[in-house]
Amino acid sequence: MNMKTSTADIRGIATLPLLLTAAAIILLFLLPKFVTSTYALHIMILIFISVIMGSAWNILGGYTGQYSVGHAAYFGVGAYTTKILLQYRHIAPWYGVWAGVAAAVATGLVIGSICFRIRGPYFVLASIAVAEIFRVSALNLPGLTNGAEGILITEVPPFKIGNTVITDFMSKVPFYYIGLVIAIAVILATRLVQNSKLGYYFQAIREDQDAAHSLGINLTLYKNAALAISAVFTSLAGSLYGLYVGFIDPGTVLDLGLSVQIVMTCIIGGIGTILGPMIGAVVLVPFSEALRSNMIAQALIDSGLVKEDSPLGTFLKEQLSHAHVLIYGILLVVVILFMPDGILGFIRKLFASKRKETA
Amino acid sequence: MALLEIRRVSKFFGGLAANSDISFEVRQGMIMGLIGPNGAGKTTLFNCITGYYPPSRGEVVFNDKRMNGLHPDAVCKLGMARTWQKVRPLARMSVVDNVMVGALCRTNSLTKAREMAMEQIKVVRLEQRLDARAGSLPIGERKKLEVARVLATQPKLLLLDEVMGGLNPAESEEIIELILDVGKLGITQMVIEHNMRAIMRVSDRIVVLNSGEKLAEGNPREIVANKAVIQAYLGESDA
Repeated sequence: MNMKTSTADIRGIATLPLLLTAAAIILLFLLPKFVTSTYALHIMILIFISVIMGSAWNILGGYTGQYSVGHAAYFGVGAYTTKILLQYRHIAPWYGVWAGVAAAVATGLVIGSICFRIRGPYFVLASIAVAEIFRVSALNLPGLTNGAEGILITEVPPFKIGNTVITDFMSKVPFYYIGLVIAIAVILATRLVQNSKLGYYFQAIREDQDAAHSLGINLTLYKNAALAISAVFTSLAGSLYGLYVGFIDPGTVLDLGLSVQIVMTCIIGGIGTILGPMIGAVVLVPFSEALRSNMIAQALIDSGLVKEDSPLGTFLKEQLSHAHVLIYGILLVVVILFMPDGILGFIRKLFASKRKETA
Repeated sequence: MALLEIRRVSKFFGGLAANSDISFEVRQGMIMGLIGPNGAGKTTLFNCITGYYPPSRGEVVFNDKRMNGLHPDAVCKLGMARTWQKVRPLARMSVVDNVMVGALCRTNSLTKAREMAMEQIKVVRLEQRLDARAGSLPIGERKKLEVARVLATQPKLLLLDEVMGGLNPAESEEIIELILDVGKLGITQMVIEHNMRAIMRVSDRIVVLNSGEKLAEGNPREIVANKAVIQAYLGESDA
């Protein structure tokens, strides 16, 4: 093979994703200038939150192999800390958020030092149990969390630097940009981890804990490091959610369902890759929104495929939106059966086999 | 000078003594063979030495430092590293990344770790397989990878647990050469092996375990001539 073409190929492969990433980021920053639909912005913000949660989980679950199904704990701790400080102490969220991060990391280190002693499925169960402790505690500490009634704050105080008001949070746009910036930050953090000693150690722990241990890796230290990084971003996602949606209660931000949803974003997209959680979020968020809002049933009827007054039509119209959890479940089964490495792994395999055919 | 001293080490699992009252020393620069029938307690002794189990009684002294109670990662950092009887490749990582994980024990820089890894990969002659996934290697290459990875941690003492297990004669021969090469680098080794021909060739000294106890110790010639050892391996003769 000619050496010149091969180096050019390598360079081409390296610069193309960089250019695409830059283009995508610029597009996303410009998007609110062109898209004024609040619903579209709403979906985008939910996608950002999902990307942040998924990527954060991915550092612990995907790279380090510790499948936590209790990440709602860090999400909830972030959301509650920020909102409690705002509600009862009148501390502005841009300080409260960092208090939330600190609380989530502290929580993580306590949980980690207990749960990381056990491995595999036992760790999964322990992570669920600990998150449930947080949910039940939040329900039963009304003095702190307002219990099952939750906390409702719809007005976020304006963000000022000096006397200049940067934003008053009256529209969705500021939340959009905050979500975008944090999403970029978590992806950058993942990249940094991947290309460092931490990343190598995390993956070694994922592949074989005993081998990693014998190669000089302090398992407790590095697992806790992964959890701490993960907790920082999960907590930020929680705070952003709490401020954006306005209302939080233990049944939403500390729920087991949320923990499962975080894991699913990664499994469906592709575990242990930078792109995986992004793909998962981009697929799952609009999909579940469409199901919940009855958009799919309406579309089937509008397209004439299903008659509105037929039994199937009435069934779809009345029941499909209630079935979104069921369909979610079916989707998960399909992905696990047919795309064990997630959508990203599936696409890569497709490309690899195409390349072989042409070669 | 003794690099490693095993002082009256015992390990009990419930009522079973997997190791009882074992003492010997491994001198700087030597290759020590550790043999014995199945269930003699060889791997248990390795686990006690490298921190996977705390010994129930006795002491492990390495480089004049008491090792009891240290975790495997600390043991590795102090310069004692082991391989596994059942190989443990980091399956979804490449060959070079596997060895880099070992090298990162001594450096924080990926560039430096890569250089160190390449050096050890050359020692075991896996240069052709740098980017292969460790999980895709055949058994012979996995064993070599394991040795390269553990060498990259820059051990003073290397403990090899049956590196020839499951290999064909040609592959075993390569591993024998490898052990001798590593010995020439000045690295002290302790080798568990069932392949008698191999152990006789590489070892300067041999310790024989049987039912958890030390049965004999000596140079290869003495061990082959030792009646107790022959009995343990072949059973009582009726004649």
